[in-house]
Amino acid sequence: MIRINEMFKKLYKISLVVLLAIFLLYVFNEIHDLASKSYLSEHYISKGVQETGAINLVTSVLYDYRSFDTLGEATVILTASAILAFLVPLRKVAMHGTKFLIIVHQTMIFIVPYLAVLGSYLILFGHLNPGGGFVGGVVLALIPIVMTITYCIEFSEYKFKPNIKTLLEDLGSICFIILGLFGIVTGSNFLASGQSNLGLGNPGELISGGLILCLNIIIGIKVGAGMAKIFNSLIKGE
Amino acid sequence: MEILYFIVIFLFCLGIYTIISQKNLIKIVIGFTIVESSLILLLILVGYKPGGTAPILDKVYQIVVDPISQALALTSIVIGGSVTAVMLMLVIKIQKRYGTLNIDKIRKLHG
Amino acid sequence: MELAVWVIILPLLTGFLLGISKLYFNKILFPLVMSSAIIYLYLLILVIQNSNPPKLYSIGNWGLLGINLMVDPFSSMFLLIIAILFISVIVFSMKYIKMNKHKYFIFTYLMIAGIAGMVLTADLFNLYVFLEVSSMSSYALSAFKKTDKGIEGTFKYLIMSTFGSFFILLATILTYYLTGTLNIAEVSLGFQDIPFMIKSMLMCLFVFGYVIKIGLVPMHAWLPDAYEDSPIPYNVFSSGLVMKSAIYALIRVLYIIFGIEFLSESGILNIFVYWGVITFIISHFLAFQQSNLIRLLAYSSIAQIGYIIVGLFVGSEKGLIGGSFHILNHAIMKGALFLVVGIFYYSLKSVKIEDIKEMGYKYPIISFIFVINALAIVGLPPFNGFMSKWLIVEAALESGFVYPAFFILVGTFLSLTYYLKVIIKLYTKTEEKIITKVPLALKIPTIFVGSLCIVFGIVPSLPLSLINNIPKFLLDNSEYVRILLGG
Repeated sequence: MIRINEMFKKLYKISLVVLLAIFLLYVFNEIHDLASKSYLSEHYISKGVQETGAINLVTSVLYDYRSFDTLGEATVILTASAILAFLVPLRKVAMHGTKFLIIVHQTMIFIVPYLAVLGSYLILFGHLNPGGGFVGGVVLALIPIVMTITYCIEFSEYKFKPNIKTLLEDLGSICFIILGLFGIVTGSNFLASGQSNLGLGNPGELISGGLILCLNIIIGIKVGAGMAKIFNSLIKGE
Repeated sequence: MEILYFIVIFLFCLGIYTIISQKNLIKIVIGFTIVESSLILLLILVGYKPGGTAPILDKVYQIVVDPISQALALTSIVIGGSVTAVMLMLVIKIQKRYGTLNIDKIRKLHG
Repeated sequence: MELAVWVIILPLLTGFLLGISKLYFNKILFPLVMSSAIIYLYLLILVIQNSNPPKLYSIGNWGLLGINLMVDPFSSMFLLIIAILFISVIVFSMKYIKMNKHKYFIFTYLMIAGIAGMVLTADLFNLYVFLEVSSMSSYALSAFKKTDKGIEGTFKYLIMSTFGSFFILLATILTYYLTGTLNIAEVSLGFQDIPFMIKSMLMCLFVFGYVIKIGLVPMHAWLPDAYEDSPIPYNVFSSGLVMKSAIYALIRVLYIIFGIEFLSESGILNIFVYWGVITFIISHFLAFQQSNLIRLLAYSSIAQIGYIIVGLFVGSEKGLIGGSFHILNHAIMKGALFLVVGIFYYSLKSVKIEDIKEMGYKYPIISFIFVINALAIVGLPPFNGFMSKWLIVEAALESGFVYPAFFILVGTFLSLTYYLKVIIKLYTKTEEKIITKVPLALKIPTIFVGSLCIVFGIVPSLPLSLINNIPKFLLDNSEYVRILLGG
């Protein structure tokens, strides 16, 4: 009797999902047939470079046209890392990992500078190349994460103090808002860069794109600190 | 091109099925990440144009893919990652307190 | 309007500053929180006063290329709820929260920022981002006590809420695919020449996502669990603002993007009216069985959401006014009830209905506040709950929904039974027991919020002068669209 019940439940769930799949198939099919209009993206593609000064259009959308979304996103990461730091127990935990050979330790010393250079390159050239604050920040966060894995959590937290990470995160978010207020001070709106008589520079050079470069650096540092904090909290919780 | 939409639907439904049918908390979280990836894939597909280049205009290109949907994809990756991190933390907490990951055995609440 | 953006960034800024002050200057918590709350109150009043006709603010001065904020009467009513609840709850939690004060205030401020962002934004994806901001802080606050029940309830809440978000995100992506834009006004214009079938399917996805976040009856199970073991000041926000902001988003999407003609044509209005009726009938029955006061209030919240849904989806001007007024009234009444329960918990360390015996004699004023708010939430005449419920009943009768109107009266009697049960317990004599003395800082905000229920009941024209403007911009979306397009 119980087994029949189980079977029935499973069939019910499968049929529910199959119905959902048919529904979505129908929707996608119908939508795909309609000619999609895209004047907004065409405007970004044709005018985006001269309006924002960044040749990486994804960055220009993320940090200029829709920079308010990015502020919300940064807040989400900050909230997540704050929740995790709040939920981990206060007591010290000993991390019992595997003992690595000397090869691993030696490779670590080689890897860390590369990670630092790669991360800063991704952040600084975010408006010219693929990359940007989020990607670069995650690469930078790999340094403390690798340290945690190969040595131990104490070493990683000795090198990068948790308080400093929290400070960087909060300061990063505050700087984001202050840079946004810069637009109001110059007589335009919140988070205006190209619109507020700020020199955009020549597209393609390193110092160009108005606020985009500054926002990239801030977001990079903030995301790096936040990710490292999230990883360490998860390890400590375990 | 068309086949990718089928993959989106397949992944979405697979994730939903994982969420509603599995008993193990970690597997439920995996289901959530599957759904998330399907939505990110959908965002990339929505902006795709056949033969388009990435939206980095260092010289003049004929066809460029839609930059907006890629920016939206980045946003949803970040949000999804944060939610997954919080979820995993709660799973760790539940495992510490109840000593099990089976969702049927976690029943302090009732009503 | 310059001030609109400050409504969002001031709480964000305060939250981040609190994060720094936790590390280095522990002392400035009180002055920072209080001064920020008072400035915020002033700011909100200024914004609410200037909300008619609606004002537009373009982030980054991009116009239609970027993200716009818009203050219209419906959003300014939500700002009014924030203004009333925020200052009272901040004063209340100053004394109530003893552990991890900094974290509590950080999450509260970020949650308020998320809700303000949801209420003000006029961009579909931005709506989703701020929905996540407010939900993330909401998860944190709901797990704040770190007890077993709290963690488990939060996990359920997180699972259900994220499940809903996926459908909202899917619908947003498909909308972008169809129209090539995310601005609500342009989406609304672009939707005019889209076939009926596709529109109704997209609407199904939006509705399913938001209904999980609201907690209508088949998807309501997470809500009492998330409430049960979370700090009580957070419950005030949760039932007053977090659930309501999801309703706000649903109404905004359905009425502005799809338009009232499409809604009545597709029959979703009828479905929602009967769904609301089922919701409040079932949750009244569930509330009757509870022995825990917080769970009882949580089920009662779901029931009141049912009334609000009936009012908002009747589809007439009067219904919208009644539903919106009930949103405001429910936030005040439930806020006062939760604050009173918070005081009981502070002095008794228990929220069982059995344990609150004789509190009516120990705290006469506080218990009186509880009694009048309970009677107001039931819908008895001199109070504000009666006004809005009466408007909803009238609107339902005018639009031909005779059975829903009848069931609202039945629901009133059902809710009277379980609230009377609590009130009788409150005034039952029992043997002496030890109670902690309650400081004045907890009593004053409770009395303030509780007395508003009498004020709004006797002088309903005070909030109604704001609320009467709401249907103009919701029933006819062309006005809203025109202003948003910059005309």
